[in-house]
Amino acid sequence: MSVKYIPVQWNPNKWLYDIVMLAAVAAFLWVFLYVTPEVLSHERAINPQIHNARAFGACAFMMLTVILCIGPAARLDKRFLPLLYNRRHFGVMTTFVAITHSGYILNWYFNFSSSDKYVGLLYANSSFGQIAGFPFEIFGIFALVCLMILAATSHDFWLKFLTPPIWKRLHYLIYAAYFSVAAHVSLGILQDQQNHVFTVMFMAGAAAVIVLHIAAWMADRAEAAAKDGAWAEVARVGDFREGYAKIAKLASGDRVAVYLMEGKLSAISNACAHQNGPLGEGKIIDCLVTCPWHGFQYDVRSGRSPAPFTEKVPTYRVRVMGDMVEVHPDANPPGTYVEPVPLPEPEPELPEEGVTT
Amino acid sequence: MDVAQALVMAMQTWGMIGAVVALVFLVIGIDRIDEDARGAYIFRPLLIPGVLLIWPLVLWRWWQIETERAAWAARYRPVRASYGLAVVLMSVGIVVIVITGLSVRQTWPADIAPVQLTEGAGQ
Repeated sequence: MSVKYIPVQWNPNKWLYDIVMLAAVAAFLWVFLYVTPEVLSHERAINPQIHNARAFGACAFMMLTVILCIGPAARLDKRFLPLLYNRRHFGVMTTFVAITHSGYILNWYFNFSSSDKYVGLLYANSSFGQIAGFPFEIFGIFALVCLMILAATSHDFWLKFLTPPIWKRLHYLIYAAYFSVAAHVSLGILQDQQNHVFTVMFMAGAAAVIVLHIAAWMADRAEAAAKDGAWAEVARVGDFREGYAKIAKLASGDRVAVYLMEGKLSAISNACAHQNGPLGEGKIIDCLVTCPWHGFQYDVRSGRSPAPFTEKVPTYRVRVMGDMVEVHPDANPPGTYVEPVPLPEPEPELPEEGVTT
Repeated sequence: MDVAQALVMAMQTWGMIGAVVALVFLVIGIDRIDEDARGAYIFRPLLIPGVLLIWPLVLWRWWQIETERAAWAARYRPVRASYGLAVVLMSVGIVVIVITGLSVRQTWPADIAPVQLTEGAGQ
């Protein structure tokens, strides 16, 4: 959470995450370079530069694949949420690995002529009119630029400055980047692959990304939206658990998290002010709900982070109609206090005729 | 070559404008629009690559915040609506490009002995 910005926010969990990630990257490169040259059909790499370029390129692809699997996996199964926690460090590391890959390529294939190597990269192959021999480098350049934008705008300042929706839209470039990487691989190294192990790995990775994202999208669509204009139904009185929320989807598409705290109901936006994480999936401790993504906290009665933090989210009005808890779709300005509504005792279910209790 | 040189020059120009924007924004602008940045200086060099890359967006947001034109509610509206479109476009694109790539793959005649086609210019 902010107060004053610092270069990198680390804590013991993030240190552990980063150590495991770096160890995995080192292990991948070591296995690729020294253990499995015959399996991946690069036992006769022409020189160390090309060998290293392939290793870092393959590593960047695998890292990008894992990054893209984490988001939908966490939406489908909350056990994957810890992987989401520090994904931005993962993304920045992927960008460095991709830059290393491009560095080996540039400094070998385009570095020994009188012309500028960047001009050479753009000029060397201009067969845009054919598929076989298409200048696949262009896809790699586009993906690298996307990754650089995402890494360069990963600091929390950018989230606050651009606002989470604009930041998120910008970071949708990851999907264009992944397609571009798939094109870079399909029209590049896949054309020259004699051994099919890498081909299978590449296709399995891409398939996993596609299947997980389509599944998460379908699950998202399945949630029914409330009727426009009217108070939106959230859940029955008996469905609420102390310290937890029920999430309602409004007709506008916005989501509201309605919490039961000390026997009373309070409603705030489900979108965390930090990165629009799902606040409704967090648990209340000492009047504060903690965002499951990055640990930002809010008072559910006012939508305000505890001092000295300054984050705020909108609040909503709640009412209880009979056995149903409802929320008004018009949001209050962020940080507006709303008096919690007492939750009546759920009506006991009457035993059916002929059934003895 | 001309197009390639022009593209490289365009990128250099983009970066130079970005450097000017970064200088002005990180020295003057950031203190005006973000209270959390006041008195915090060590993190600012980390923002330079971002400003170099997306300086038009930086200028637009800076102007929006200074003139208070952005509606507060927009900040809390997740962009889930376009997620489906992004995912479908990416998925279809990957399937098409992989099939296309595999379909134009050529078999390399690795076992054929090399044949000298001409005697060469030096003989």
